[in-house]
Amino acid sequence: MREYQLGEFEEIVLLTVAILHEDAYGVSIKQEIETRLNRKVSVSALQTALRRLESKGYLKSNFGEATAIRGGKRKRYFKVTKAGKSALDYTKETRMSLWSAIPNVTYEYARA
Amino acid sequence: MNTQEPNARPSPPSWSTRFLAWFIKEDYYEDVQGDLEEEFQLIAKGGRVYKARKWYSWQIVKLFKPSMIKRIKPNDSIEKETTMFKNYLKIGLRNLWKYKSSTVINIIGLSTGLAAFVLISLFVKDEYSYDRHFENADEIYRVTVKNYTLDGDISRQWAFASAGHAKRLKEDYSDITHAVRFFPWAFPDIIIGDQKFPGEPVIFAGDDVFDIFSFKFIVGNPETAFTDLYSLVLTEETAVKLYGTDWRDQDIVGSQLKLAGRGQEAPFKVTGVMENMPDQQHFHFDYLAPIRFIEMIFGEDASNNVGGNYNWLTYVKIPSNTDVPALTKTVNDEFWEKYIGQLTRGSASDFYDFEFQPMLDIHLTSNLEGEYETNGSIQQVYIFSVVGLLLLLVACVNYMNIATSHYSRRMKEVGVRKVIGAFKTALIKQFLTESTLITVISLPLCVLLILWALPYLNNFMEKTIVFNPFAQLGLMGSLFLLLLGVGLIAGLYPAIFLSKVNLVQALKGEQSMNASKWNFRSWLVAFQYTVTIALIFAIAVIESQMEFIRNSNPGYNRDQVLSVRISNVSNRETFKNELLANPNIEKASYSSRIPTGRLADSMGSNYFIGDSAVATGFRLPFISVDKDFLNTYEIELVAGENFRDGMEIVFQRDSSGNFLTAPGNYIINETAAKALGYENPVDVVGTVIAYGPSQGRIIGVMKDFHFESMHSPIVPMLIMYRDRYRRISLKLNTNDLRSTLDFIESTYADFDKENPINYRFLDDLFNDQYQQEERLSTMIKVFAVIAIMIGCLGLIGMVGFIIETKLKEIGIRKVLGASTQSIWMMVSNRFLVLVGIAFLIALPISYYLMNGWLDEFVYRTNIGVFIIILPVLLAVLLTLLAISFQTMKATRVNPVECLKDE
Repeated sequence: MREYQLGEFEEIVLLTVAILHEDAYGVSIKQEIETRLNRKVSVSALQTALRRLESKGYLKSNFGEATAIRGGKRKRYFKVTKAGKSALDYTKETRMSLWSAIPNVTYEYARA
Repeated sequence: MNTQEPNARPSPPSWSTRFLAWFIKEDYYEDVQGDLEEEFQLIAKGGRVYKARKWYSWQIVKLFKPSMIKRIKPNDSIEKETTMFKNYLKIGLRNLWKYKSSTVINIIGLSTGLAAFVLISLFVKDEYSYDRHFENADEIYRVTVKNYTLDGDISRQWAFASAGHAKRLKEDYSDITHAVRFFPWAFPDIIIGDQKFPGEPVIFAGDDVFDIFSFKFIVGNPETAFTDLYSLVLTEETAVKLYGTDWRDQDIVGSQLKLAGRGQEAPFKVTGVMENMPDQQHFHFDYLAPIRFIEMIFGEDASNNVGGNYNWLTYVKIPSNTDVPALTKTVNDEFWEKYIGQLTRGSASDFYDFEFQPMLDIHLTSNLEGEYETNGSIQQVYIFSVVGLLLLLVACVNYMNIATSHYSRRMKEVGVRKVIGAFKTALIKQFLTESTLITVISLPLCVLLILWALPYLNNFMEKTIVFNPFAQLGLMGSLFLLLLGVGLIAGLYPAIFLSKVNLVQALKGEQSMNASKWNFRSWLVAFQYTVTIALIFAIAVIESQMEFIRNSNPGYNRDQVLSVRISNVSNRETFKNELLANPNIEKASYSSRIPTGRLADSMGSNYFIGDSAVATGFRLPFISVDKDFLNTYEIELVAGENFRDGMEIVFQRDSSGNFLTAPGNYIINETAAKALGYENPVDVVGTVIAYGPSQGRIIGVMKDFHFESMHSPIVPMLIMYRDRYRRISLKLNTNDLRSTLDFIESTYADFDKENPINYRFLDDLFNDQYQQEERLSTMIKVFAVIAIMIGCLGLIGMVGFIIETKLKEIGIRKVLGASTQSIWMMVSNRFLVLVGIAFLIALPISYYLMNGWLDEFVYRTNIGVFIIILPVLLAVLLTLLAISFQTMKATRVNPVECLKDE
């Protein structure tokens, strides 16, 4: 089975692109993350993550429409690919299996 | 009013955007910038434009990271260039290796030519650097004195002035701020404790000396060095001589020593040590002492006279804003009247005026009477500069020539490169790279050659020129640039030419390029021939003039004549007789001066027409001789008779010190007889003249001879029998020189117990007079031979190339039955035409120049037909030799060999 490697921020970006579905481009992804997770995201970090995900094949992109507010520049819309979906599923499953493996004792321990 | 117009929106900082566009990957730029701008507008909406701009720029700065920055891709221009450059280098090196002989010729020619050029430049630079190290060097002038004849012509100009000049000039003219005079007195012995240093050249100088010349002191202070009358300033060299190499540790300032000379002794004190005087200076002094000491010894009068006795080297300082010609005129108008006018002595040789000679001009242009040291010659510098430039040109042309012919071998390569798709610029770059390659390789060789040759040059020209490639970076830099320039220029012609060539033509091969017979290369060869012919011509002219001088008869015998200085010989008559007792010594004669010396002594003279005395209108110098002088030097008398016993002149003074008129007998030369107005020398015999404090008859006329060198014409002169002897001339007749010299030395030692013997052979002295010309001619010969060799190398290369391109033609001709001879003729013809053209260009130019050089000699050879033809003959001979050698190789080859390919 192929390894799906996702960094924490990459996972968030990938999920956000999935949430936004047809409307995922630079600004909307950034604002979505900032509002949902209440954290500051720099354009640089976001772009780096997006391009990495794209080069890993989890995202694909194509140019969309240009607007006046963008100074006539086109938007780049991102979409989650099948591989991206598998990666998300894989990550979720591994997390879930880990969650389910936690014995109850641990909670008592933590409480003390 | 609607302020929300789209174009009224605030815009992000444009320089940030430009920065982003510059670094970010092209396909990221559009959407990333769009995103940034969109968000910028969102932030700026609330009027927070400043914050938005800050945010925008900051985001871009953060984007500047490796994953976002454009990749420098392999097909980018820099990498493409370096790859291609590596390829050019490789191809270039392979070609150098393939054509080894032309590579070697090229490198040798170029580095030798350049090395010679650099050597000459160093020499010229050194010549121009004389005296420039003094502070305010342009404000220092030497006072020179001009003597006139009655006709107003300058008869002599002296590098020295009279004792009283410096002081009076300084006192009377405010423009002359400082004045100093130097006087070497008696070469005293220096005595330190019980150590004695005999005959040290102590120079006495006026108090202004350190104000005018910025001599650098190692210890001591120039301002107080001459405060005390008995002060002595040393140089580093003499400090070592007197006190040893550890003089610095001895605290010698203030130490006592004694000067002893002429039976007197005086205590002196060392007050300072100067740095050694640099070689690039027109005088060198070893010791300086205050001239007040001399004044004390000579008395006020002798150190103050303003007429004659030009023995005082005098310098003045005139501020740079002064009109020196005007000042000179004022001084000359006033000085004579003020100080001498009233003392009319009525002789032409007494009148003089001054010329202030800029110190910076002395070394190169001054050749006056009694120069303190031998100066350089501007003529020599010019000639060297021309030869140096010619060498450089020949080396470059030679290089271009070989390079060009070399490239035309590569027409096919150019064709193939073009077919593959090389741009014109790529081809040009390729050839320029290759042509600079050789010049760069030549640089180290050139430096080595300079380092090797410089000691010889220094030795020969008595120079101390330094060349250090690691220290003189400027020089090395310009040398490198020069080489690079040569490479570029040499490469430019073939590069442009080849890159322009028609593709089909190029692929057909080189024959098409040689279609026109008179191309650029032919002119280069013609140029080389021109320079070669001109240089051979110049050498021939110089050599024939030197030969003319060497063989010309100066009018006296100089063979086996020895001249001995007699500074302190007692009992001269006995000395002479004892010498003559040796059968190997044929004749002996005392005199004040000897031929090859200078006619520096003269007195006022009058000649009598009837009873009235007339001042002679020309300078009539004299020497004092004994009755054997004419006989010893084998100088003929053309009229009258020689001196006899009892004809000796003795000048006498009366009780108050004035001279009495002594009876005299004189012999003059033919020129003097003519100057006195007697065409036939017999008529002058018996006439009465007054000479200095004597009066008497001219008893004889001697044949003209060259007392001074042949640079100057024979001047009137007079000899008298008078005991003021400084030398004895001995005519030897022996095969056993060694034992005769031993005999002379031991006899001398018996008569002068103090001084060592000092003698010279007259033919050595004679040759010394032409040392400068000898040097010049040797140097020019060396450099010209280098130039000619380089030219020949080029020629051999050219011939080889032409034959190579004609190999097929030669092959076909041979197949059709041509003889070796006719093939040889075919190749030679073209070169002989070039030699002819070069001859026509070279001859008028070099004839004009060399004729000018010869005109500097009063006695000169003529440029004969042989000298004109010789260079052409040599050029033709060299060409034919080169051609023969190469043709031999070509014609020996079996025609099948060269015809079988293609």
